[in-house]
Amino acid sequence: MDGTIITIKDLNVAYQDKPALWHINLDIRKNSRTAIVGPNGAGKSTMIKTMMKLIRPVSGSIEIDGRTDKGVLKNIAYVPQKGEVNWDFPATVLDVVLMGRYVHKGWVKRTQKKDRDIALEALKTMKMEAFCDRQISELSGGQRQRAFLARAIAQDADIYVMDEPLQGIDITTENLIMDVIRKLQAEGKTFIVVHHQLNTVKEYFDHVVIMNKTIIADGPTDAVFTGDNIEKAYREKGVGV
Amino acid sequence: MMEVLTSFTFIVVAAGTMILAFAGGMVGAISVMKGQSLIGDAVGHATFPGIVLAFMLIGVKETYTLALGAVLFGIIAFLTIQMITNHSKVTLDGALALVLSSFFGLGMALMSFVQGNPDFEGTQGLNDYIFGQAAYMLRSDVYLITAASVISLFILAAFYIQIRIYIFDPVFSRTAGINNTLMNFIILIITILLISVGLKAVGAILIVNLLIAPAVIGQLWSSRFSTVLLIAGSSGAFAAFTGTYISTAGENIATGPAIILTLSFLMALSLFCAPKGIIRRNIYKRRMGGVS
Repeated sequence: MDGTIITIKDLNVAYQDKPALWHINLDIRKNSRTAIVGPNGAGKSTMIKTMMKLIRPVSGSIEIDGRTDKGVLKNIAYVPQKGEVNWDFPATVLDVVLMGRYVHKGWVKRTQKKDRDIALEALKTMKMEAFCDRQISELSGGQRQRAFLARAIAQDADIYVMDEPLQGIDITTENLIMDVIRKLQAEGKTFIVVHHQLNTVKEYFDHVVIMNKTIIADGPTDAVFTGDNIEKAYREKGVGV
Repeated sequence: MMEVLTSFTFIVVAAGTMILAFAGGMVGAISVMKGQSLIGDAVGHATFPGIVLAFMLIGVKETYTLALGAVLFGIIAFLTIQMITNHSKVTLDGALALVLSSFFGLGMALMSFVQGNPDFEGTQGLNDYIFGQAAYMLRSDVYLITAASVISLFILAAFYIQIRIYIFDPVFSRTAGINNTLMNFIILIITILLISVGLKAVGAILIVNLLIAPAVIGQLWSSRFSTVLLIAGSSGAFAAFTGTYISTAGENIATGPAIILTLSFLMALSLFCAPKGIIRRNIYKRRMGGVS
């Protein structure tokens, strides 16, 4: 089980002329639950978006599962921040979850019964099966997040990348999401989660990356998530700002 | 009534506008859901100088050449909008307004230049492309509209699944291996194509309505992507038929505005009566005990 699933080497990212990430060197352990923490503007979202090839770095390399080509992205289920999606879009919860199956279908193939079964099973895991015909515009924040995670489960990827999945949701959903994450980890999946509540890091994650434009510390939560490191990340201004 | 329905002019005009409005409604629905309705407006206005320049180059008002000029200027206008938003601090709405007015102004300047110029003959019909003059539509116009609409709908069908994912969640679509740039380009090209062939029917100023109004109607009546598209297309075609009939039967009502007015009427009706319209919403809110 052990080993590295994502290797980032000397990564630099800039928005126009402003540096966003500096000299990032990072190994993410296979089958871990890794939290990414840091103050606002620390480049957490930028880093995972660069991993997903949504942002082109100035320099550096990212290896996922030993590969650098685009095809490897299909093995990553990305759960975006809630605000990144057009919620007025005419679609049902099931429609959204079925989108996760697209990755396995390619071009023009329509979804089949097997895909529907997988999607419904994913909804059941997220306790959303009763909402499968519900319009996404009618969902609460927690339900939306569950629908997104159901889509990720339906995608059946080995790596889950999530951008603040616990932001602004109810405690029931938060507990459910963490239960599902633990269960999927037991099945061999890896989780990389941008996280903003410092008080739950130790309980929810076994590995942590503390960053502010550059990596302050990374490793097993027990060893790395110390007051010193946190203070460093949250007190100091990021490099180059 | 039968006399109107079987007259040659009516058949040509109704066929052309209905096909145009059907395809326009479907493609427009995608732009509207993507939050880009005003790009259609800017591009619509911006095609006008393309028409005049094409005319100046060849000296006659030939359907296909003028449409080509319109397509070219539609693309130039869009690229200009992108360049402004990417390389300056001007926001999208500012860039749209700038491009819309300056391109249309260029068209008007060129038109007044050729109209007062003895070197150009047959300039009086150029006005038709501003406000539309469906009654003067030729068979070649209808052929062009049909070809453009069929091509647009075919492209839409071919990329249907990808476009749907892209509009809903562009970040996910990228990670799922969909080429977002290509999707955006496809939506844009078919929009420009339909605008360009439809100018003579409804004009550069009103054409955007054929893209937006059906989409709004579709979204008010349905919550399914495919149904929204179908309702948008059908309501566009229905309005085209009704508008053409009103203008052929009545006197002195131009076809373009008659179609647009029919669409506006349908939209107003939907705004009140549709499942997602004002009345139902208020009933729902009252039932839920909220403030209406």
